[in-house]
Amino acid sequence: MSEFMGFYRPNGDVGIRNHLLILSGTVYANGVCERVADTIQGAVPIVHANGRCQVAPDLRVTRRYLAGTAMNPNVGGVVIIDHFKEEGMTAEDLADDIAPTGKLIATVNIRGDGGFISAIEKATRYAQDFARQISLYQREAAPMSKILFGTECGTSDTTSGLGSNPANGLAGEILIAQGGRMLMAECTEWMGCENWLTEKAASPAVAEAIVAGVQHMESRALASGEDIRGSQPTGDNMAGGLTTIEEKSMGAVKKIGDSPIIEYLEIGEAPTRTDPGNYVMYGPGMGAESISSMAAAGCQVLTFCTGGGHTSNHPVMPTIKVTANRQSFELMRDTVDVDVSGVFHDEITLAEAGQIVYDEVERVCNGYLTKSEALRDNNSFAIHRVGPSI
Amino acid sequence: MKKVFVVYATDNVGTVVLEPIAAGDHVTCNGERRDIEIVAHDDIAYGHKIALMDIAEGDTVLKYGLSIGSASCDIRAGDHVHTHNVESNRGRGDLADRGAVSAE
Repeated sequence: MSEFMGFYRPNGDVGIRNHLLILSGTVYANGVCERVADTIQGAVPIVHANGRCQVAPDLRVTRRYLAGTAMNPNVGGVVIIDHFKEEGMTAEDLADDIAPTGKLIATVNIRGDGGFISAIEKATRYAQDFARQISLYQREAAPMSKILFGTECGTSDTTSGLGSNPANGLAGEILIAQGGRMLMAECTEWMGCENWLTEKAASPAVAEAIVAGVQHMESRALASGEDIRGSQPTGDNMAGGLTTIEEKSMGAVKKIGDSPIIEYLEIGEAPTRTDPGNYVMYGPGMGAESISSMAAAGCQVLTFCTGGGHTSNHPVMPTIKVTANRQSFELMRDTVDVDVSGVFHDEITLAEAGQIVYDEVERVCNGYLTKSEALRDNNSFAIHRVGPSI
Repeated sequence: MKKVFVVYATDNVGTVVLEPIAAGDHVTCNGERRDIEIVAHDDIAYGHKIALMDIAEGDTVLKYGLSIGSASCDIRAGDHVHTHNVESNRGRGDLADRGAVSAE
């Protein structure tokens, strides 16, 4: 049973990073958040377009994303900045959600604290204090069973389903064998291979939830009156050789291995179980919304398997890009971390490719920066909408 | 002789993962099925699929041993297999009013 060096949080979670979050409660607080984060070493701004004029179910999802991101074990402290007062999601509501983690939390209200400039001053002082406090936290040995390992695929091509995804599934099996958990979302991409998933379900309830989740996503596509083929697979998928959503799905679900599926989660929801194995989550195929939902669920690390190469990177959850397309690795070498294209050239076996992916995950858990982290290209925080703006 | 990759023994398509195929090339398989030799009728790019056997209109196109859609016209062994001759059976909002969509 191997260990990694991580940051223990008061609730027993273990982070692989020690971020200070400057969290925007609404779109109108984004500017203040960015100014504060610019001033403070290591501070990460979380900004977004939501938080105003949303219907209640949609606002609840937004609240889960924002609170969950701050609750992620990789976060040591958070300053929440709100513009005025949004019924159902004030800075205080978010602070209440985050409080059980025991981490450092402060709230600032732009109107309540005297306007834009005064709010920046107050939030910057909180942030300076928190940045110094969390800088005292040390990495300590923790079992790999503390890791919730998220996985995603994007800009897929045929090499994804044949190479990087199956290798990733094997990497997940290595973590699960040490007591860890793997999480897969993107239920749009389970469409057409529900049986392959339900055969692995740990209980009939999990199997039923998987089928219902896919039907719900498919019914949303049907209700649009459009042919889903216009957007799934995407144009770049088809240029890469993927023909149908079914083909894309089969390749996509190969990114988890054969371990049982322990629990089905709603979007952005943290697992309630700690059993080693696979976990699955309802959500869209849109990459940034999907990986942000997995960060909100508590994933400390994520592998992003890609055919065409990718830049996707979540601000608090290191996002390791893996490809089996040698040309994409060369073209996108600035942001793609791992090349397993050797499986097609008789250079490595699929099992060896799985070990290569796992080894990279373990290094990143120990503090090794991904290529995108080193570039500070935090492009992939996005919130899934389930209702209209009113 | 060019090679295509076959993921599962019952598949009726193979995937180009090494050098691209030109019309007229002789093609064999690696991966899970190695007993087929065909002649390509089309140029087939990296990442794209070739029919390993004849697939009649309406028949299931198999990859990973599972359906990836139905042939929308007769496909000959050696043809390029893609959106021009395969259609998805899922997420077809455009067919919903004709009762042709199942969500099983």
